[in-house]
Amino acid sequence: MSDGLFLAGRFRRLVATVIDAILVPTLTVVLVMIAGVVEHAEDYTDNWWMLWVFLLAIASYLLLNGYGLWRHGQTVGKQVMGVAIVPASSGGDGQYGREPAPLWKLICVRALFFPLLFVSVVPWIALLPLVDQLLIFMKSRRCLHDLVSGTVVVRLRPQ
Amino acid sequence: MRRRSQKGSMPYAAGRGFGRFSRLVLVVGLGLCSLTARATCENTDPVPNMQSPYAEGWGIDHRNTRYQPASSIDASNASTLTLKWVYGLASTTPRAYPLITEDTVFVGDGGRGLVALDRATGCERWVHEHTGAIASAILPGRIDERDILIFNDRTQGMYAVDARDGQLIWHAVVKDEPVPWYSGTPLVTEHAVFLPVASLEVGLAANPFYGCCTTSGGMAAFDIRTGKKLWYLPTIEAQAQVTGSHFFGFVQKHGPSGAAVWGAPSYDAKRDWLFFGTGQNFTHPTTDTSDAIFAVEAKTGKIVWVHQFTKNDAYTAACNIKALNHPNCAEPTGPDVDFGAATMLLQTRSGRELLIGGQKSADVHAMDPATGSTVWTTRLGRGGIIGGVHWGMAANESLGLLYVPISDKEVKGFPAPGTPTPGLYALDLETGEKRWTWTRESRCAEEECVFGLSSAIIAANNIVVTGSIDGYLDVVAADTGRLLWSHDAWRDYKAVNGVATRGGAFDAHGPMLADDLLVVTSGYGYVGRQRGGNALLVFQVEADK
Repeated sequence: MSDGLFLAGRFRRLVATVIDAILVPTLTVVLVMIAGVVEHAEDYTDNWWMLWVFLLAIASYLLLNGYGLWRHGQTVGKQVMGVAIVPASSGGDGQYGREPAPLWKLICVRALFFPLLFVSVVPWIALLPLVDQLLIFMKSRRCLHDLVSGTVVVRLRPQ
Repeated sequence: MRRRSQKGSMPYAAGRGFGRFSRLVLVVGLGLCSLTARATCENTDPVPNMQSPYAEGWGIDHRNTRYQPASSIDASNASTLTLKWVYGLASTTPRAYPLITEDTVFVGDGGRGLVALDRATGCERWVHEHTGAIASAILPGRIDERDILIFNDRTQGMYAVDARDGQLIWHAVVKDEPVPWYSGTPLVTEHAVFLPVASLEVGLAANPFYGCCTTSGGMAAFDIRTGKKLWYLPTIEAQAQVTGSHFFGFVQKHGPSGAAVWGAPSYDAKRDWLFFGTGQNFTHPTTDTSDAIFAVEAKTGKIVWVHQFTKNDAYTAACNIKALNHPNCAEPTGPDVDFGAATMLLQTRSGRELLIGGQKSADVHAMDPATGSTVWTTRLGRGGIIGGVHWGMAANESLGLLYVPISDKEVKGFPAPGTPTPGLYALDLETGEKRWTWTRESRCAEEECVFGLSSAIIAANNIVVTGSIDGYLDVVAADTGRLLWSHDAWRDYKAVNGVATRGGAFDAHGPMLADDLLVVTSGYGYVGRQRGGNALLVFQVEADK
C-alpha cells in the first residue's frame, strides 16, 4: 500500500464543491434559456416547467461530469482540485486505491445529494444538507453522501 | 452544581413559594379555562343567519362609496370602542375582507379556508376548507332562495359556496388569459358576478429568462347561478407581438401588455354600466388603455368610454431591481401609477353625479360618469409605486366630502421626487378642494418600519376609520379630522381560538364597520418592511353612549 492515496483535505473538497455548484447551475441556466421552458406565460399555467428545469439540471450535471466520473471518479471541480472519488473498500490503514468508484453509485446514490445544496431553504429538509456536509468533520472525512455510497475522496498526488 | 442550575433556570421559584404546587394549579386552571372555552363553542349554532348582511360588496354598496349606513358608531361614542374578541388567523398577511351579518363574521383564514364565526363569541360555525389563500372581500349573493358567498383565491380563481354550511357550489376561472391574477374583489349583482383580472406577468417578468410580456388585464362576467362565463373584456385588444430580444436573441420581448385590473368595479344601476381602473403597461409599446378608467356595459362587456390619465407608463417587478439593468424592465421606465383603488360612483350635495378615481400618483380625479370627461383633479401627495392612493377611498355624500388616504410610502431604492405627505385628506366632493388634513407622528422615527396610509378606509355617520402601515387604527371625525380614538396593534393578542396572535401593519382592504362593530385584520406584511401578523380584531362600541 505504499503507492496508496490519502484522504483529500477538507478545504480542497470545499473548493471542488463550490466550483461544481457554480458550473452546474450556470450550464442549467444556459440550457433553460436555449430550451425556452420558462419563457412563455403558457409555461406557468401548470407546474411542469419545474420538472423541465430539474431535468435540465440533471442533464447539465451529466454533461459536465458524466465522463469524468465514469473514467476517473472526478467531477470538474474535483479535477481542478486534484481529488477523486474511490470506493471506501479499496484501502486500509488510511490509504486507498486509484480505481474510481462505480459510475452507477456515483450517479444514482452519491449525486442525489448534490441538489440538496440548492434546496436547503425548504423547511422540512433544511437540516439534511447541513448534516450531510457537517459529517466532513468526522475523522474519516466522509460526508453523509460518502457513507451512503460507500466512497471516500482522496488526494491524487502523493503527500 | 445541580442546585445552582435549578436556581438559574427558575429564578422566581426560590423563596417565593411559586413552586411545583403553584404550577400544577396554574396548569389545571388553564386547562379548565380551555375546556370551558371549548364547551362554550360546542354550543355554537352551525348555521349562520343571512337575513341582513352589512355589505353588498367590497365598497359596502355597488357604487363603492365605502360608507356604511348601518353603523351605530359615531363621534359621540367612538371613544368607547373596546376589543370584544380576537381571532388568530392561520397565517400572516391577511388579505381577506370580512363580511358581517346579524350573527356571523365570515373571513378568509389563511390556508384553512373560509370560516364562519359567531359574531358574539368568535366561535366557529363552519369552515370551508381551501388550501390556497382567500384574498378578496367575502361577498353575499343569492341563487333563488339560497344564500351564497363569493370570494377569490388570488391564483386559483373565484368560488361560490353555500352560506349555510360552506359547501362549494361552483368554481370559476378565466381561461382567456394564461396567467390571470385574481387580485381585485368581484362585484355581485342579481344575475352576474363581475371579476377583475390582473396578470402574474407583472411578477414573472422578474425572471430574466421570461419573455416579457404578452398578457392583458381584463374584466370578466359570470352567471351567478352556474359560474359559467358570460363575457370577457381584455383591456388590451391587440395581440402582443415580438418587439426585440435579449441574451443573444434567445429570449424574446413582447408588447403591448399589461393594463391589469386590480380593484373592484363599481356599478351604475341606472345605466347598467361598470366602471373600473387599470394599471400600467408591462412593456412597450404602451396602449391608450393603461392607467385609465373604463366604462363598460354590464350586460355585454362593450366599452362605452375609456379615459387615460397617464400615458406611456410601462413597469414590472423587473424594474424593482433596476440596478441590475434587468433586461425585462421597460425602457423608458414607469412611473407605475396605476388605478389600484376601486372607482367610486358618487353624488354631490347639488345632485351631480361624479365618478372618482384615485391613482398611485396621489392624484384624485372626478369625472362625468356619462362621458368620462374630467370635472376636477386634485393632487395630494408625492405618489410612488405603493401610492399615493393605493387601496381605496371613502365618501360621506351627506357631508359632501371625499376621504383620501395617502400612502407616499418610502420604498428603498425608489427615491420619488418631492416630500412624502402621508395622511388622510378630506376633499370637497363638488370642487376637489381640500377641506382638512389629518396625520400624526409616525412611530417609525424610533423603530424600523414605514409609515403611510396605504389601506382602504371606511366612513359612517360622522366618522372615518383608517389604518396605517405602522400599525395604528384610528377613528377621526368626518367633518374636522379630529382624532377620536386610536388602537396600537403592534402587540400580541389572546385569541379566542387559542392561536398565537400578533398584530402588525394595517393595509389592503382595511377596516369594516357593521352595526356596533369595527372589524379589521392586522398584520399585512406583503410589502417590504411592514410588520406581519395574523389578527382579526373585533371592536365593539358601548351601548347608550
